[in-house]
Amino acid sequence: MTDQFSARGSSAPSPVLLAGQVLEWSLGSENLNSPAGSADQEVRRMSLPRCVGGLRPDIMTSAERMEAVMVGLRPDRVPFNLFGAGFSARNVGYPVEVVYTDPQKCLRAQLWTGEQFGCEPTTGTGYASYGAYEFGGEIRMPRSRWESAPSIVRPAVESEEDLEKLDLPDVKDAGMIPTLMGISKLQERLGLPISCGISGDPATNAANMVDVNRFCRWMVKKPELAHRALRLSTDHIIQAWDYWIETFGAERVSVGVYVTIGANQIMSPKQFEEFVIPYQVELHDRIRDTGIKGAMFHICGEQNLNLPMIRELYLGTRQTPFMLSFGHEVDLDRAIEMFPDSIICGNVEPQIIQNGTPQRVYEVTRIAIEKGKSAPRGFILMTGCDLPPMAPGYNVWTMRKAVSDFGFYD
Amino acid sequence: MATEARKKEILKGLYDGVVEFDEDKVVELSNAVLAEDVDAYEAIMDGLAAGMEHVGDLYANQEYFVPEVLMCSDALYAGLDILRPHLSGKEADVRGQVVIGTVEGDVHDIGKNLVKMMFDVAGFEVHDLGRDVKLEKFVEEQMKTDSEIVALSALMTTSMLAMPKVIEMIKARNPDAMIMVGGAPISQEVADNYGADGYAQNAANAVQEAIQMVSRLREMGKA
Repeated sequence: MTDQFSARGSSAPSPVLLAGQVLEWSLGSENLNSPAGSADQEVRRMSLPRCVGGLRPDIMTSAERMEAVMVGLRPDRVPFNLFGAGFSARNVGYPVEVVYTDPQKCLRAQLWTGEQFGCEPTTGTGYASYGAYEFGGEIRMPRSRWESAPSIVRPAVESEEDLEKLDLPDVKDAGMIPTLMGISKLQERLGLPISCGISGDPATNAANMVDVNRFCRWMVKKPELAHRALRLSTDHIIQAWDYWIETFGAERVSVGVYVTIGANQIMSPKQFEEFVIPYQVELHDRIRDTGIKGAMFHICGEQNLNLPMIRELYLGTRQTPFMLSFGHEVDLDRAIEMFPDSIICGNVEPQIIQNGTPQRVYEVTRIAIEKGKSAPRGFILMTGCDLPPMAPGYNVWTMRKAVSDFGFYD
Repeated sequence: MATEARKKEILKGLYDGVVEFDEDKVVELSNAVLAEDVDAYEAIMDGLAAGMEHVGDLYANQEYFVPEVLMCSDALYAGLDILRPHLSGKEADVRGQVVIGTVEGDVHDIGKNLVKMMFDVAGFEVHDLGRDVKLEKFVEEQMKTDSEIVALSALMTTSMLAMPKVIEMIKARNPDAMIMVGGAPISQEVADNYGADGYAQNAANAVQEAIQMVSRLREMGKA
């Protein structure tokens, strides 16, 4: 086994490394699971170098770093945001479901985990199954070790008649909104950025409301029904944003917009144009018109064919741009080229953080950082989608290590 | 008895009905197959299945996406439901048996349903356990049906972790069972690491993998 740290430029592994010194892993031909001829020897070779070295000291605080990125100044290094409320819960010993049920534990888990790994703190939450529960369906909280987020047990709409009768829910009481508002109020009390956890994804929420299979069929055979679901879904999001604006003021609130089911793994660009774009236009224009402070726009999964249409949406101004988060399916070079006035976020493949060796994690993170650093309006390192709750903590630390080794702008 | 020209017309209509996801047309022509004494097996293979094969190409070429394929699948099953009961014993012989399901903790089943459909088209007997399937259920169903293949699907990075566990459980009871895995977060590398015998990158590829697996088993005299 030749897996080990070595000082850059040195061929031999060094047992003494200064904090901030650049470290490299030289990869051997064997993998971590290979049967060892001499396990003791391997442990001796591996363990000592892995315990030394450290992170290069930061110059800015997390708040200063994020502020610099937001206003368009160059921070000391690339910020590193954990895209992982569920990971944070599990990391501190809570069940994953607390991020959807308990505002205090949700925030505590994320703040503690951010502190542990030296990440810029994020404290919000949201969930991809949004829309079913809020419109009267049923969801199930993640309970088994194989679950990471709420799952839909019963959609709100099970027939065309159900949809015709469906009305907008009471925005203050619908589904998970009370919990999401509780999180925002706690953020306010702690002086943290206030994020609205409503999923700003009309198409995915509509599909969750009526069942994804049914929604896909309606898009082809009964588009008027798909559009009715989309209308309700969009109006609900706007009502919910207004609720947040009334409570905290637009200038203090950030929102999340997403295009999940619009990914080309599901939908054609033509369908994206018909069923996603018009409703996204409404949301993006609403952000502009209300003066909402900021937006994180998660462009989930394979979206390469949709990017030209996404580029036409309102994405903030160069002074106050949206943060655009990409999955690993979109190359960061292309994202940067197409969205030079946006803050680019992403895009390390979550599955690799969960299943990959630390060496692999280090390498894919290095590549993301080195590409991302060329973004003219700034870059934030993140996973390309939710950090899996079961990801080994060491792999997350390895991402942070790569930020330290490659993320400084000097 | 239909003339050769009429038979061709019916088969072409079934093919087009599937490709154009025209369920009514497929039902009408499937009934015509029976009424006009056209061979049901031929109608399935040269009409419906051939149409679905073309749909697979359209999907691979990004001309069709999931919504269209789901509609094609509805048309296909509308025809299969009418014609299958009329297959003769020999024609109804299956190519192999597959147990399929989305693993515990995961309720996403679009991908699994597309793979199931391709197995159906290819002449496999499919035992569909649905979604969010308890791991023990895969083991029980494989043993009960003596299926050559178990196909596991997962969309979530969390639920994919159930795959190595269920593979271990199945192999412990029946080392000869072949396991195929697929789903958005799965890659060939992941499949290999999990100890799976095959990886379904997409629905069409799943069937090719399965056919190879069954062939391997038969060469070894275990199927």
